[in-house]
Amino acid sequence: MSFNSEPKLCLPRRTSRAGGAACVRLAARSRVLGLSIVIVSIVGGELVLGARMALASDGEATAAQPPVTPRLISFTNDVLPILTKAGCNAGACHAKAGNGQNGFQLSLLGFEPQDDYVHLVKEGRGRRLFPAAPDQSLLLRKASGRLPHGGGLRLSPDSPGYATLRDWIQQGTANDGDSAPALVALAVDPPRTSLASGQQRQIKAIARYADGSERDVTTLAQYESNDKSMAEVDEAGYAKMLDIPGKVAIMVRFQGKVAVFNASIPLGPKAEISLPVRNFVDELALANLRELGISPSPVCDDATFLRRVTLDIAGRLPTLDEAASFHANNDPRKRERVIDQLLDSPEYADYFANKWTALLKNRRDDVSDITSNFAFYSWVRDGLLANKRYDQFVRELLAASGTVIGNPPVAWYKRVKDPKQQLEDVAQLFLGVRLQCAQCHHHPFERWSQDDYYGMAAFFSQVGRKPTSTRGEELIFHKRGIAGATNVKTGRLLKPAAMSETVPPIAADDDPRLKLADWMNRPENPFFAKALVNRYWKHFLRRGLIEPEDDIRDTNPPTNPELLAALERHFVDSRFDLKALIRVIASSSTYQLSSAPLPSNLADQQNYSRFYPRRLPAEVLLDAIDDLSGARTDFPNLPIGTRAIALPDNSYNNASPFLKVFGRPENESVCECERVQSSSLAQSLHIMNAADIKSKLTTAGGRADRLAKSELPVERRIEELYRAAYSRDPRADELKVALDYLSETRLDAAAKPLDPAAAATENFQDLIWALINTKEFLFNH
Amino acid sequence: MNDSKHVHCSDRCRGPRPFGSNGRRTFLQLGLAGFASLSLPGMLRLRTMAAESANSAGQPVAEKTAVIMVWKPGGCSHIDTYDPKPDATSDYRGPFSTIATQVPGMHFSELLPMQARIAEKFTVLRSMRQTAGGHPAGSMQMLSGDPDTRDKPKPRFPDWMTVTNFLRSQSGPRTNPLPLYTGINPPLEYNGPAYLGDAYSPFTVNGDPNAPTFSVPNIGISDQREVGRLDRRTTLRQRLDSLERAFDRQGELGALDQFESQALKLMTSPKTREAFDLSQEDPRTRDRYGRNAWGQQLLMARRLIEAGVEVLTTSLSGPLCGRVGNWDDHAVNQHVFDALRFRAQAYDQAVSALIEDVVERGLDKRVLVVVTGEFGRTPKIEYSPSTGEGNASAPAGTVQPGRDHWPRAFSNLWAGGGIATGRCVGATDKRGEDPIERICSAGDFLATIYHHLGIDAANTFIKDFNGRPTPVVDHGRPIAELIA
Repeated sequence: MSFNSEPKLCLPRRTSRAGGAACVRLAARSRVLGLSIVIVSIVGGELVLGARMALASDGEATAAQPPVTPRLISFTNDVLPILTKAGCNAGACHAKAGNGQNGFQLSLLGFEPQDDYVHLVKEGRGRRLFPAAPDQSLLLRKASGRLPHGGGLRLSPDSPGYATLRDWIQQGTANDGDSAPALVALAVDPPRTSLASGQQRQIKAIARYADGSERDVTTLAQYESNDKSMAEVDEAGYAKMLDIPGKVAIMVRFQGKVAVFNASIPLGPKAEISLPVRNFVDELALANLRELGISPSPVCDDATFLRRVTLDIAGRLPTLDEAASFHANNDPRKRERVIDQLLDSPEYADYFANKWTALLKNRRDDVSDITSNFAFYSWVRDGLLANKRYDQFVRELLAASGTVIGNPPVAWYKRVKDPKQQLEDVAQLFLGVRLQCAQCHHHPFERWSQDDYYGMAAFFSQVGRKPTSTRGEELIFHKRGIAGATNVKTGRLLKPAAMSETVPPIAADDDPRLKLADWMNRPENPFFAKALVNRYWKHFLRRGLIEPEDDIRDTNPPTNPELLAALERHFVDSRFDLKALIRVIASSSTYQLSSAPLPSNLADQQNYSRFYPRRLPAEVLLDAIDDLSGARTDFPNLPIGTRAIALPDNSYNNASPFLKVFGRPENESVCECERVQSSSLAQSLHIMNAADIKSKLTTAGGRADRLAKSELPVERRIEELYRAAYSRDPRADELKVALDYLSETRLDAAAKPLDPAAAATENFQDLIWALINTKEFLFNH
Repeated sequence: MNDSKHVHCSDRCRGPRPFGSNGRRTFLQLGLAGFASLSLPGMLRLRTMAAESANSAGQPVAEKTAVIMVWKPGGCSHIDTYDPKPDATSDYRGPFSTIATQVPGMHFSELLPMQARIAEKFTVLRSMRQTAGGHPAGSMQMLSGDPDTRDKPKPRFPDWMTVTNFLRSQSGPRTNPLPLYTGINPPLEYNGPAYLGDAYSPFTVNGDPNAPTFSVPNIGISDQREVGRLDRRTTLRQRLDSLERAFDRQGELGALDQFESQALKLMTSPKTREAFDLSQEDPRTRDRYGRNAWGQQLLMARRLIEAGVEVLTTSLSGPLCGRVGNWDDHAVNQHVFDALRFRAQAYDQAVSALIEDVVERGLDKRVLVVVTGEFGRTPKIEYSPSTGEGNASAPAGTVQPGRDHWPRAFSNLWAGGGIATGRCVGATDKRGEDPIERICSAGDFLATIYHHLGIDAANTFIKDFNGRPTPVVDHGRPIAELIA
């Protein structure tokens, strides 16, 4: 097919690397009389179009200066980054994942350049770009707000991004997908630095390409502060440190690559620190404080320690006897001894089984689940009681085969049926990696691709299941065959690969899940030990060294990397001994610091310069109220006296509105965040006046009843209350307030004074009510 | 049960764009905020915008916008109520005749004479459609926007009520002791807070507010001795509460104190008691709503909204519905036409009274009233033997007419909210089987409600348990005719 070239013709053509754009500019007063589009040629299966325009012009069309060859704009490396930076391919806008507003779909954050080329250039009947008059392209008219655009102004006509897009369109919308040098790395300059609070600085982003070239992409990269209360960053990469000391990271993203700018914000000059160093935890935590110039609060007193550690290890308040004997004990190592005693107690197993069964979704969806709920709970609890090695625990769970009765961890496969869900849960819970995003697209903040996702899924591809004669029960087995999973995007069948690491070939008879377990517990595994120690650190110190605790990624660095690494090493060296890990954390001075801040560490929120108090979890709080009031909560179909921390599954939340309202999880998520620890109106209403709380206070034989009738001096009775609630004696002022209150007379409904016995009962109920509602009771501090 | 596999039309409402060309999505300029949930200042700005848009009359809008949702659990037959098809054959149209309404050209079935007389005061949307045929999935589509068509025991996404509660609670505890989100016999079975947590569930009032013994436990305690004791206890607590507070940088303790004081007010303040106390109403007003559970529920809804509740839901269920206590009029459950007739009077009276009252009391800008169920019912009548005798149901074994689930087309009613009223929007085909114009999806339904509440549904994300920013409405736009 020939093309009749005329002088007054603008010819949009595919530009080649060699040639420049041959374009003709039209005189301002030109009028278009007619336009015809013809196929010029077929190149590599693609149509190349030419436009023929008939023009009437008062002047002459001026030819563009062909000798001046403008830089060729790269679709992949110039155009797409502009679209990403302008937010065009964000989830709410034109990302395909979000279904693309008004039919214009781009791959999420530009992760699929070749798809995007088609979306941009070919779809919509090619109407989005208009090489004949680039400024008239729908893309540019919408983005610059010249046409009504739901997304508003994204690129002003005088911006460099606009100019680049226009030039690319003018150059013929070339697709350099295969020839464009691939982006291999992103670097930030500087990668790490120390900045004073209030200080500002520019971060530079540098892209490195496969051809060895480097390019400053500071204006095209995207920036996000990991903790917006510590550092702010604007879209040009200009960062400002705020007034909270510690380490903060700013994530820099560019075309699927990520890099991190680490800033350390010291509070002041080098700090004076004279805390006893109990173990490596203190060495490293204190080194960090020294570096940041933050002084730690002193070590807490015995009463606070005993209450804290008993709540954290055994999920309960210390008993009166425990408190008394601890106070009386003069052994300088008595704190370590208490930790050991608690770790040996059955409540330790109860409490941590409660934690793990929630994360492992031990959920009652149907009454018939009860067998597997109980069996699974017992399996977890027995393992903790016997201090089963953590890697063994995970291996038994991961590779569980058989029936629930014969092998209780099978219950996990009974509940988590979808192989994708299995891999996601395993990755998040045991590796601390949230892979969900990578099911449908490249992880936006990480290196994980869809291949990595389906490579993990392949480990679970041979899980067979068949019904047994028992209703609701399934037999889980290894289905003989070569494991593999198909990447839904590429259609490629992938062999098992553990977080992108290939594993040796797995024979058809071998259960791939065991190979995954093998990979996990190798000492050099970068995820397995880290995820667990970080999770346990958070259990004891409220804030994970990486936060959220199950979102471990290069772009979310720990606040104290040395400490995290040392904890990992310790855990691996101890052969994954959970009790040993707890021992080393709980016996450190760092764990034992007072929660009362010093003026010099008030601003600290992440360096453990003091203990960060946290509200008691729902189960612990309910048990604590029972202990203090001398009442008991009964749960259906469980032995009388079963405590809330020992409940095997979520079904008891329905029987206890208290547990529900105070946020006991329904065991639906692998994330600890399902447990709600924040306060609410419903909680206040409940704890202040709900029927179950009222009946606990008034229960016959309960503490109020008993103390009101007691012959002991009132001071002794108040002491008992304080010891039961806070494991300490009342201070003089508190004693006076309580004594005064207890001596007040009370009136009955007819405004006549109550008899002293009835008044005493009421007053003790009120006092217990008041203690329950204090922060000192509600919080572990 | 009818599935919806034949649904193929566009699920977007057509019509003018609800938003102007600027302002929307400017949040993206905050760098990566496309992946973050809406920040507090952003929300406050949206709220201000909402207040301004509700302020067409020129008065300052001090109070926040609010929504009353009247829920018809089980699904109401659209053909027998708001979208009659008198020209359809007898196996479709049913026994009810049609009546003219105050709006020329708009007809209702004879079951709704009172609403017909005030039709200038509301708008009927006749082209509602979702894609789930079961009660759980249908409710989850309508209330939480979950596109899943399969039934599941619990919602994956939070419903619009808890989302609103969550978003509006970000600015800290309320000064008004009445809970932001209150339900009077509310829908709770197939909806809830999902990953937002139970703290955002409604404060729930159960029972029949028409019953002489009705009272709300724990609210506005009238026993002065009990009130005195609560005050005493709280004072004692304050005197003994000695925990060092300096650590409280995140405001946890402060929040706890504020919730405690809100709870105390809720429990002891005569004002909160009054908000729930229908005896404070003129007896004629109570009569106007109907002296039955539904009438008094809607009256209480209006009282609470006036007193500062911002999200109020109430289900029209129970004995007034017929044998099975809801609108699920399969032949096996109850005789569909007897059941509709059985409940029509109470329904018509209560809904028309609420709409008129909202208008008369000047709440019609601030308060949006939505009346809907999870779906409509099959236009074609089916006959099956009854499974039991009762109100509106013949003895077991007697063949009686019924209508099954129909998510493909149904109607709902909109009033207040500053919207243009006195019209119907959308239309279904000659048998009421599918919408033929202005098809509106569950997402559109939700986006419309959010719009009134000042929540830009297209750009508001909340992180789920995995930290994934999840849009509060996945695909949906405010229905242009139903927003101010």
